[in-house]
Amino acid sequence: MKNVIKNILVIAMVALVTLVGATSCKSSGKMSKKEYKARVEQAKQDLAAIIDGTTAWSCDEQQARLDQIKKIDFTKKNPEVVEMIDRAQAAIDACKAEQARLAEERRLAEERRLRELEEMNKPKTGVEDYLLQIANAKDVNVANRAINEALKLFSSADTPVLILINNYGDYDKPTTAEKYLNYIKDQKKVGVKVNNVKMENGKISELELKVVK
Amino acid sequence: MKKILFALAFAFFALTGFQSFAQEPELTPERKHDIDSLALEKVRDLSKYVKIVGSKDTPWSEANRVIDRAEELFAPDAEIGVSSLAKTKIEYYKVRQYLERLMRLNYDRVEIDWYKIQYVSDLQRQPDGTYVGVITVFQTFKGYDAEGRLVYQDTTKKDVTVYVKRKEAQIGGRLIGFWDVMLGDMRVKETALK
Repeated sequence: MKNVIKNILVIAMVALVTLVGATSCKSSGKMSKKEYKARVEQAKQDLAAIIDGTTAWSCDEQQARLDQIKKIDFTKKNPEVVEMIDRAQAAIDACKAEQARLAEERRLAEERRLRELEEMNKPKTGVEDYLLQIANAKDVNVANRAINEALKLFSSADTPVLILINNYGDYDKPTTAEKYLNYIKDQKKVGVKVNNVKMENGKISELELKVVK
Repeated sequence: MKKILFALAFAFFALTGFQSFAQEPELTPERKHDIDSLALEKVRDLSKYVKIVGSKDTPWSEANRVIDRAEELFAPDAEIGVSSLAKTKIEYYKVRQYLERLMRLNYDRVEIDWYKIQYVSDLQRQPDGTYVGVITVFQTFKGYDAEGRLVYQDTTKKDVTVYVKRKEAQIGGRLIGFWDVMLGDMRVKETALK
């Protein structure tokens, strides 16, 4: 019986030593030459793709991969990889900046879209409403109908329209109500706000617009 | 006596010269920037007009109205150059003639796009107070046949001279100072397949 217990203890100890030995080898982080070489090659390949912008990874995925690569010390055997890491980090920073710029652009475009939608849904009350309606008309006929309605607000089709381009009293060449409304139809955008309106007998006798910067 | 007269004449011209200079001071960078943008915007306006006139979907009356507006952007007698990959010679047409030819082009569908509209030579003040600059544009032209096949395409780089002059107009009893932007000749610089 003693022998049996002794044998069991010996087997248990051998098993323990084997197990501890195996795990301690894994956690030491040491790798074989072959494994290191493979990692260097893979790192170079991934870094080149990040630097050249040919990877399909997102900026965050690129950063995660780079962080993983950075954990290996390449300074002694492969300094070229260290240089590639710096360039890849710069590429990722640029990628993140571009991502932020695009996100901001999308946010502003969405804000503008919502604002224009809100403007369009407001009941038509004045010139600015008509300008938006004309610019956003789905075709020429719809735009022309809006122009004819808008012209009813003016004393005549030849009512002067002034466009102020800054705060220094500089104007664009004066035009007329009819020409300006058609201009909005052609350009399909409104880059002005009403600055001043002169009325005579309930109709606009002079319209001053200001360029929105 | 001669010397006194000479000195008086010199003083007179120096004074009047100084006065005319004093009446039109150099623009501040902010104002100059606004005038630059105004002139650039006129070329962008023209790009939309060219697109409208060239489109086969534009009703005839609309195309003619737009031709009138486009013509107003140019100085009288200004010309626009037309190039083709099939010819080495560049033909020049008066603005109206150019736009009317564009309207009648023998394609079933036409796509014209202008891009990279920018200054190649900034607006510079001339002795008479006019600001003159050169704006460059790239134009892609695509012509399709009835079956929707692309039968001709090219990309042309064109330079247009812009003249900006301060003028005044009496509007509703008050004097308005405005900047009159006029486009000059539009010269073809390069034509390529794509």
